[in-house]
Amino acid sequence: MNKPTGSDIRVASPLKAWASRFALLLLVGAAFGLMLIGRTNTFIVEETRSVVTDMVTPILDAVSQPVETFGGVIEGAEALANLRSENLTLKEQNSRLMQWQTAARRLEAENAALRSLNRMVPDPSMNFITARVVGDPGGAFVRTVLINAGERNGIEKGQAAVTGDGLAGRISEVGQRSARVLLLTDINSRVPVVVGDVRDRAVMAGDNANAPELLYLGPTAKVKIGDRVNTSGQGGVFPPGLPIGVVSSVSEKGIRVKPFVDWSHMEVLRIVDYEMIGILDFEEQVGAARAVAAAGNEQ
Amino acid sequence: MRQEEGVWHRLDVVARSISPFFVTLLLVLVGLVPLHVSDLSPIIPALTLIGVFFWSVHRPDLMPIWAVFILGFVQDLLAGGVIGPGIIGLLIAHALVVWQDRFFLAASFAVVWCAFMLVAAAALTVTWALTCIAMMTYVDPDPVFFQYLVTLAFYPCLAWAFLRGQRLFQR
Repeated sequence: MNKPTGSDIRVASPLKAWASRFALLLLVGAAFGLMLIGRTNTFIVEETRSVVTDMVTPILDAVSQPVETFGGVIEGAEALANLRSENLTLKEQNSRLMQWQTAARRLEAENAALRSLNRMVPDPSMNFITARVVGDPGGAFVRTVLINAGERNGIEKGQAAVTGDGLAGRISEVGQRSARVLLLTDINSRVPVVVGDVRDRAVMAGDNANAPELLYLGPTAKVKIGDRVNTSGQGGVFPPGLPIGVVSSVSEKGIRVKPFVDWSHMEVLRIVDYEMIGILDFEEQVGAARAVAAAGNEQ
Repeated sequence: MRQEEGVWHRLDVVARSISPFFVTLLLVLVGLVPLHVSDLSPIIPALTLIGVFFWSVHRPDLMPIWAVFILGFVQDLLAGGVIGPGIIGLLIAHALVVWQDRFFLAASFAVVWCAFMLVAAAALTVTWALTCIAMMTYVDPDPVFFQYLVTLAFYPCLAWAFLRGQRLFQR
């Protein structure tokens, strides 16, 4: 490579310094501009984001598999070590669950009978799409993951993402072959929930910590540690009754919920295709109304 | 034969001159791979920052400011949060290094690491503050602090690998 000589540097330095300062200001200004665009026009940002995510997902998909396998090997070795004790625990748990199964069957039958008695509107049916978690940006500011399924697999914005344990989050962005799941713990996550056997309504809000907070509980609500938290189905975004977690702490600072989902072992997510028209169609409706209004103005 | 050599030589030069950018872009992707380790996700090291800092110090000619901007943009897009704060953090890290380029000319590895301590602190603080402003909420700074510590600890490992790679290239 050609190294600049001393005289070159002397001549170029002031000019170069000026140019680089200008470039810095320009690019910082551009970054602020992007920040503003992100706040005002989320559509463009989302489109760009999903295009880039779509490009990256196949690579991540290929890379994340060996990482998962490696993690699986370590876990397998650990499991081998405490096989005996785990077997005993499982046998015990199995017998207990068999009793629960009987109870659940009886309740199911009773429920069906009562529903038909009351002529209740049946809940919309659910379909599942299973996808692998291929990306986890980490960091201090967001709690999201990328999955390797997108629009072409039938994923839509707003659908719930669950694991075997419970609700994990909802789809916030969809590309052709990838989608982003906003986890329950993210600072932007708000989920309408019901708490405990009394079914007090509340909103569970994430703040990037591991245990989201319960907000807007009624003044008469009596919440105690260990109360189960399920989705309420309000707003029509999530199906009602999806398990979320248990109340883990009640203090003056707030009520915290520990989700059932094991965040560090979340390798596969099931996306719930819940066929219900909810508030997420609001944007479309507003868009259509605006288009009609614009057409009216033109005439 | 001579003509062919010229083409290969030119290709080689091009490959060398774009490798810092692509290595750092690779770091952006590596940062996205899910590790499935408990509680590690929030404090994953800021790999892009390490890449940008390292190349700004050692080969500022191959890590121009617009490349820093693009890296920051891709990183912020893929992270899924607000776009902008991450870019500005990286730009500030780059600007600080370029501003004090004479200091880095003769600096030893330990000194560069200490300088990284200051630059990373500035970059992450700015990123955090701007994220708070953009989201209009107070984001808990504790994870940022731990991320900072992990990033500092990670710097020597990555820098060592980069230096080895650079030497391999130069042979």
